[in-house]
Amino acid sequence: MRGLLVSRSRALLRSFSSSARNLFENKVAEKQKIFQENNDLPVFLKGGALDKMLFNLTMTISVAGTGYSLFFLGWASFPQKNKM
Amino acid sequence: MTHQTHAYHMVNPSPWPLTGALSALLLTSGLTMWFHFHSILLLLIGITSMLLTMFQWWRDIVREGTFQGHHTPVVQKGLRYGMILFIMSEVFFFVGFFWAFYHSSLSPALELGGCWPPVGISPLNPLEVPLLNTAILLASGVSITWAHHSLMEGSRKQMIQALSITIALGLYFTILQAMEYYEAPFTISDGIYGSTFFVATGFHGLHVIIGSLFLTVCLLRQLFYHFTSTHHFGFEAAAWYWHFVDVVWLFLYVSIYWWGS
Repeated sequence: MRGLLVSRSRALLRSFSSSARNLFENKVAEKQKIFQENNDLPVFLKGGALDKMLFNLTMTISVAGTGYSLFFLGWASFPQKNKM
Repeated sequence: MTHQTHAYHMVNPSPWPLTGALSALLLTSGLTMWFHFHSILLLLIGITSMLLTMFQWWRDIVREGTFQGHHTPVVQKGLRYGMILFIMSEVFFFVGFFWAFYHSSLSPALELGGCWPPVGISPLNPLEVPLLNTAILLASGVSITWAHHSLMEGSRKQMIQALSITIALGLYFTILQAMEYYEAPFTISDGIYGSTFFVATGFHGLHVIIGSLFLTVCLLRQLFYHFTSTHHFGFEAAAWYWHFVDVVWLFLYVSIYWWGS
């Protein structure tokens, strides 16, 4: 049982030590460098290629959906001959 | 190269207000399509564009504050005012539903039997799950305060633990409330009792879910070292919102669950 004590077991000590537990590293400085780069990009595109893809996707869905909703509004505005 | 000589934040032009407004159009017209024409396509498009907008807009705010340094003290003051005003607007939203409840329960109509709870309604026992839920939310108020103090003291591990406990308590509340909804002997269509009960507690539950998501984002940001011991307004805003959710529950418990039974 004494072998199970953390202080006596090097294996356990290593897994509980602060160096092993740092699953997350502080990458804020790197991010700050990327987002403060003098490239005249607006903040919503400044993170890289994924930003552009997400923007395109969002805009396409929103605008296409708006077009569809206007079409639907036009359709729903007139009486339908078929029974619902 | 131009540099600003003031401490305010002149934001880059952003597409998200537009996509957000279009999403609102798609959500509302999508609801119409669903209710009257049995199609959920427009609603799904609306929900998707709304979620994309929310993600990118808030992502950009994190970039502007944490990575670009735009959130100076005066800017942060504005953000504080903004969050306070938003929470106040939510308070008034709930005031409406409490008004409806008290209007109907203080002078119960003849059709209800002239009593409250109305004839035929067996209300939930306030000393069972609802009391447990009260204890859960009160405890989560304590744990989030612990998290805040840990953050201010620079205890990273404790802050993560306390915030995780807060989120877990929020999830526990949500699960218990969902089970209560499933087991309840009355439904939303059981007269004015059902309407006031489920609309008031339902919107509260939605706010618990929103608050839990906000806290989860804060947990992720803490894990990624975004917060410092002196600058962590995102977390404070989440904590204010969480306390607001707790207070609304206390009013719900006392008014609808306890007095209303």
